[in-house]
Amino acid sequence: MILITGPMWSGKRELAKQLLHGDEAAFETRCACEVQSLAAGREDLEALADELTQYEIVTASELGGGVVPVDPREREARERAGRLACLLAERADTVIRVFCGIPKVLKGEGK
Amino acid sequence: MLLVCGGAASGKSAYAESMLCRLSGSAPRIYLATMMPYGDEAASRIARHRAQRAGAGFETRECPCGLPEVSVPLDSAVLLEDIGNLCANELFDPAGCGDGAAGQILRGAEALRKNCRCLVVVTNELGSGGADYAGDTLRYLRVLGEVNRRLAAMADAVCEVACGLAEYYKGEEPA
Repeated sequence: MILITGPMWSGKRELAKQLLHGDEAAFETRCACEVQSLAAGREDLEALADELTQYEIVTASELGGGVVPVDPREREARERAGRLACLLAERADTVIRVFCGIPKVLKGEGK
Repeated sequence: MLLVCGGAASGKSAYAESMLCRLSGSAPRIYLATMMPYGDEAASRIARHRAQRAGAGFETRECPCGLPEVSVPLDSAVLLEDIGNLCANELFDPAGCGDGAAGQILRGAEALRKNCRCLVVVTNELGSGGADYAGDTLRYLRVLGEVNRRLAAMADAVCEVACGLAEYYKGEEPA
């Protein structure tokens, strides 16, 4: 599995499409996008990370770079999103961070 | 063209200015300032910055929106600072162009890139702080993200500055 991370609107989905050679038809079955949103609703993050490894590509936005949210639910969601990304990175063969549309390999081939 | 990205008070301005001085040689240096001159605080800030940069040999031109209308001498060295301000002005100021913001800024940057000797653009990366914002803030973040991606594609070199130090994602630091 390849994990693609980076700021919001930095070009993660575009990179996933390129890596799948523009396979639009099977995109949804081969790639799970913006999985940070799944973390808040799941009790067992390890199990969620295991499930996501069935995809070829998983994308997750970085959420932890701002002020700690005042709202407890937002705080919890942000925390869990970050944890999930770490668990996914452990399981991934390759981790790529996209910055202003430019990919940088953090783990695996090409580093 | 060099794109310099970074957070608030990361040292990106000083770094961008030093790179422009390195690139410009004897070319006239032009600083394109983007702050809306509203209120006394903004006015005194602008006056202080102008004086500072005059010492470094920069001519300052105010350009809070309408970047494509700016004309600079062909052989000039231009520092445009910053894209975060320009995006906000174009999107939300009555003088701005609203939904056409991204296109307007990109057209302006492309025209500058073609016409001047060297161009350094300063921008902000704000997309790592989550999406728990109201509609207009989210819209701003989306437009800024798009402009940043397309400016990075246009640029010869792209770096992120943290603590005054630059990490290059594309190209190399100007020699």
